Amino acid sequence: MLQARALTKSFGGVRAVHEVSLAVPEKSIFALIGPNGAGKSTLLNLLSGIYQPDAGTLSYRSANLIGQPAYRRVRLGIARTFQKIRLFKQLTLLENVRAGFHIHQDAPFWQYFVRPASGRFDAEARELLEFVGLGARADERAGALPYGQQRMLEIARALATRPKLFMLDEPAAGLNAAEVEFLLQRLVDISRRGVTLLVVEHNMDLVMNVAERVFVMDHGVPLYEGTPREVQANPAVIEAYLGGEFAA
Amino acid sequence: MLVAALPWLISTAYWRGILVLCAMNVLLALALNLVMGYTGQLNLGQSAFFAIGAYVSTILIKTYHWNFWLAGVAAIIAAGFLGLALAAFAARLRGHYLAIASLGFAVITYQVLVNWESVTEGVRGIYGLLPPVRGTVELFYLIAAIALVVYFAMENLVRSPVGDTLRAIREDEVSASALGVNGALWKAFAFGVGAAIAGLAGCFYPGFVGTLVPDAFNIVESFTMLAMVIVGGMGTMIGPVIGAVVLTFLPELLRGFGELRLMIYGIALTLVVLFLPGGIASCFRRAR
Repeated sequence: MLQARALTKSFGGVRAVHEVSLAVPEKSIFALIGPNGAGKSTLLNLLSGIYQPDAGTLSYRSANLIGQPAYRRVRLGIARTFQKIRLFKQLTLLENVRAGFHIHQDAPFWQYFVRPASGRFDAEARELLEFVGLGARADERAGALPYGQQRMLEIARALATRPKLFMLDEPAAGLNAAEVEFLLQRLVDISRRGVTLLVVEHNMDLVMNVAERVFVMDHGVPLYEGTPREVQANPAVIEAYLGGEFAA
Repeated sequence: MLVAALPWLISTAYWRGILVLCAMNVLLALALNLVMGYTGQLNLGQSAFFAIGAYVSTILIKTYHWNFWLAGVAAIIAAGFLGLALAAFAARLRGHYLAIASLGFAVITYQVLVNWESVTEGVRGIYGLLPPVRGTVELFYLIAAIALVVYFAMENLVRSPVGDTLRAIREDEVSASALGVNGALWKAFAFGVGAAIAGLAGCFYPGFVGTLVPDAFNIVESFTMLAMVIVGGMGTMIGPVIGAVVLTFLPELLRGFGELRLMIYGIALTLVVLFLPGGIASCFRRAR
């Protein structure tokens, strides 16, 4: 579905991502792991179009993505969340999710001057809030939500674009055990609806339980790719990353 | 209703003139609020779009003998397209840079008005201009009616999905782009609409004053409009209306204080910004 070849990105001489090639299969749950500073977030920014690579190729369902800005990739069905949560803090939960329907606006803009069109996406937005367990708080300000719920709201907002490939940057970071459990269920639900998931994650429970393929990065280069079981058994991965947690 | 009764409550010619100015300022503040309050882009060039509306319509009427309404439409289109062009040119600039580009645009426009004498008459000014309707009261009704239409059209817009898009850009442009929003395009849209409405207000100014000189469109005017939006309450519909009314009448009411006038005006502005960061409109929301 998503094919990257030899993607490279440097920042002032520091090679954040160096010649990374990966292929995300259609309808899979694909995990991207690696120690801090391995280049995972940079890679995700390259895949989603927040950054453009210095070199390499990138295609999505045979469409070339290089040179395409983030907003155009969304129309192809690629959505994402951010590691550092980026909600519209002053807006309500409902307004946050409604903004996600931007690419599905179906009336020419001038009509909005003439005809009241408030509530065009309200019903669908409320459904998505319900889906992430925030239905009762639709009219609260997003900035006032507790951290874990902000993560779920960002997921609901991204789902409003109706993605086919959904990339999540550390969705479990800062969540407690119950919240991780809830997130895990929701990710499985989203995947069952036919959405391909690419998850950057530190939480090993989550990765080992739901991922079908795991891609390991270290120092900006690919280290290993395989099933969760293979990754757990690979000495190089254990050495670089899993170390203390899984060696014993 | 209240608006309709105003010219009868205020019967002196001078204060009726202030009413007309007030209606014009409401239009200008509404327009600026779309760009600043809803889209989150600081625009210091609003006086230039106001000027373009005034000069384009006047020159078309005086030199080319166009009908007022036709000239008005041309002026609105001219101002709107310049707004679009400025925003498109500055599309890669964010925050302060777009603000500085718009400030530069206001300075350039002012200089063009002063120096392009063969067309604008420069500081000599253009004289003997007539309003499209007979008296001051009629002119007030006309502009107030237009302001009302603009108000409701804009309210429709900010409540529509486009309003959600603009607010998303205001809050976080990167996040908005991750939802498929082309930030540059929608910022240009807001700038264009805001500029067109400022141009619309500009059409009525020359006929009301009777003369047209560049000094009416000094950059200071941009800051006055900015103050109206901020004092009234950015990002609310009623805020800029309140701000325009207060900041049109306050300086006039303070005329009795002579030299102290501007100082009191300045202190009042500072107090509002310090103690009511959400503007006057936020009082009403808190009370509710």
